[in-house]
Amino acid sequence: MRHPHGRVSGSFTRDASRSDTLLFLACLGLSAGAIALPDQWGLSIATGLRDTALLPVLWLQQRAVEGRTSRARFQALQAERDSVAYAAQTLGEVTAENERLRALLGVRARAGFATVPVEVLHQTVPTDGRSLVLSAGRRAGVVAGAPVIGPDGLVGLVLSAGRETSVAMTWAHPDFRVSAVTEDGAVLGIVAPSGGTDPSESFLEFRGVAFRDTVATGALVVTSGLGGIYPRGLPIGRVAGIRKEELGWERVYRITPLANPGRLTHGLVLRQGGGGAEGQRDSGEVSR
Amino acid sequence: MSLRRDSGRLIAGFALLAVLHFYARPRIWGGDSRAAPDFLLLGLMLFAIRARPGMAALGGFLTGLLTDVLTPAHFGVGALAYTLVGYLAAWGRAVFFPHNLMVNVGFFAGAVVVRDLIMLIASGSGRALGSAGFLIGSPLQALTTAIAGTVVLLFFRKWFAVRMA
Repeated sequence: MRHPHGRVSGSFTRDASRSDTLLFLACLGLSAGAIALPDQWGLSIATGLRDTALLPVLWLQQRAVEGRTSRARFQALQAERDSVAYAAQTLGEVTAENERLRALLGVRARAGFATVPVEVLHQTVPTDGRSLVLSAGRRAGVVAGAPVIGPDGLVGLVLSAGRETSVAMTWAHPDFRVSAVTEDGAVLGIVAPSGGTDPSESFLEFRGVAFRDTVATGALVVTSGLGGIYPRGLPIGRVAGIRKEELGWERVYRITPLANPGRLTHGLVLRQGGGGAEGQRDSGEVSR
Repeated sequence: MSLRRDSGRLIAGFALLAVLHFYARPRIWGGDSRAAPDFLLLGLMLFAIRARPGMAALGGFLTGLLTDVLTPAHFGVGALAYTLVGYLAAWGRAVFFPHNLMVNVGFFAGAVVVRDLIMLIASGSGRALGSAGFLIGSPLQALTTAIAGTVVLLFFRKWFAVRMA
């Protein structure tokens, strides 16, 4: 047998070939063991390595994402800022009116949320999009279970938070579930991803809708606030039609998600406990 | 002295690929990373075509573990896929004529598709094999990786000790 590095003796080749096979099988065994690990163990190992050995690599990638977006998105952000500034001119009056009405009805002030801005560090493998590595971790105030939102709507929630980085499970992940309601509050259900498709082509299903309820195509579906994870009112997607009907008791609607995790470059992680105006102030501090 | 210089160039070559992967790729392609060349896989292939199959499998396992840590949707799937790709590439070199540019470029492109195929099947997303994400995204990344590999082979092949006919 001819070895690529030259002609060698038969017994050496056999031994080398055996050691190659053993090394290959050992790597395969370790890979299979890693796949069989409980999810929480896998996440813990990944978090530990990201916070230590891979910190320089992620730092480098974060600088690259910041550098790209600070140039490419400057004009878009300026336009958005102008629109927001215009909208904010009437905000004071609306807020005062809201407070007056809440006082009249005896409803306490709505709890605010502080936010942590994050960059999304994309990878090149096909499973990217189901879970995303975010550039902020526990040190910035990110905790496991915190909702992640993008400019268009709900992206997912933080699965695990390391010291410097965290991992978010997006709506394309098979385990994602969120209690949802139509924008007018009339129809309540559970939003979940449709199973087994490519992350880049996934869509959502609005499940558990009573057969007597009808949701119009194009209706906006938002988080209901039930369950204590996601606050009420985060946009999830728009109804694209009926997916299927379970005979006589349930309709499942197909939803086109508003946020695309595959193209997301920046997002916000919500932190509970901001508390109204204090939360807004807190948000500003974190953002700076 | 020459051996030390060759080792230094080899390490510099892989460091260059790592910088390209973690800095140049997100800087140029941003969030749309599925079309971006995979410099990590390219590095593995350049290692595999000069190493023994066992070492290529070990290199693949470590590269895959790195991707698993950075994309922990299904921990271990990347390690499995890259191990197989590294091992197959090292054996493939013995079967095909490895000193031809087009053969090497074909290796790079094929490795991307095989890696995606294994990852999707092993992560339980077998149905995604018929989706545009795989049918379009994977060949697109194979193409960009092959182009990047061609550039590397043309300008840096001495760094990676790759012989060309």
